[in-house]
Amino acid sequence: MNGWTLAGTSFLASAVEAVEAMTIVLAVGVTRSWSVALRGAAFALLVLALLVAIFGPLLRLVPIDQLKLVVGIVLILFGLAWLRKAILRYSGRKALRDEDAAFARQVSALRAAEDVQADRIGLVTSFKAVLIEGLEVAVIVVTFGAASTAALGWSAAGAAAAVLLVVLAGIALKQPASRVPENTMKFVVGVMLTSFGTFWTGEGLGIQWFGADLSLLILAAFYLAVSGLLIATARAPRTVRA
Amino acid sequence: MSIAAIWEFIAGDSRRAPVAVALAVAVAFVLLRSSVSSTIVAVAFAGVIALGLAAAVFERT
Repeated sequence: MNGWTLAGTSFLASAVEAVEAMTIVLAVGVTRSWSVALRGAAFALLVLALLVAIFGPLLRLVPIDQLKLVVGIVLILFGLAWLRKAILRYSGRKALRDEDAAFARQVSALRAAEDVQADRIGLVTSFKAVLIEGLEVAVIVVTFGAASTAALGWSAAGAAAAVLLVVLAGIALKQPASRVPENTMKFVVGVMLTSFGTFWTGEGLGIQWFGADLSLLILAAFYLAVSGLLIATARAPRTVRA
Repeated sequence: MSIAAIWEFIAGDSRRAPVAVALAVAVAFVLLRSSVSSTIVAVAFAGVIALGLAAAVFERT
């Protein structure tokens, strides 16, 4: 499996989740204090790193065919959920995520908190945001890493690079990253996860893929085409019968 | 954390998508045991998943 593809998919998935988490961490930092916001985020990142470090190598103790089947199914389910959400947003059936509005909501909630409790609430808010948004990425990194130690390294490196980039951007801008094309990234990740999942589940079942790893590209092109068709169909105005 | 919450974390809020994935796995399993060529099984497998995506997009949740 191409390491760059794994790293790229993991990078995009992590970037999407990191942008969402960063919005909340920024809100805590601006409203309360940066020390509280960063401590909460650091604890959560530590928990996530531990999960990847423990479950990544553990998964490789399972026989490879059964592992591919289970990991593949999880990736397809993850991929379809991301893809569905992105298609619904593109077609206008679901509102696009608004980082500015999420930031404003969080700031007003934190300002409403009593001063005595506010730091504790800020710490927990920051911790929960990074943990919840990061958990999905941790599962993706661990499942990608199930293939080999090298694959775990590639996917973890992709995730780490994305988190670093988003954190640096957050520090530099000190405002929510509302211009990031979040839905497009979600869409691409959805296509990639569904393709990887289909490929691995198929291998686990015993399918001999045409052109081996090359069929991943064919699968990605297929799901991309189907998704494009679904966006166009879902967008089309429905005729109402009298 | 309840099982329902874990399930929603993995599969999202669609009911149709997981059913389609289960169906795709079952179809591929049966076809492979019936000595159908791998290419046809692969097409059927990806096709059922794509149909599941379509069903999920038009699902009311």
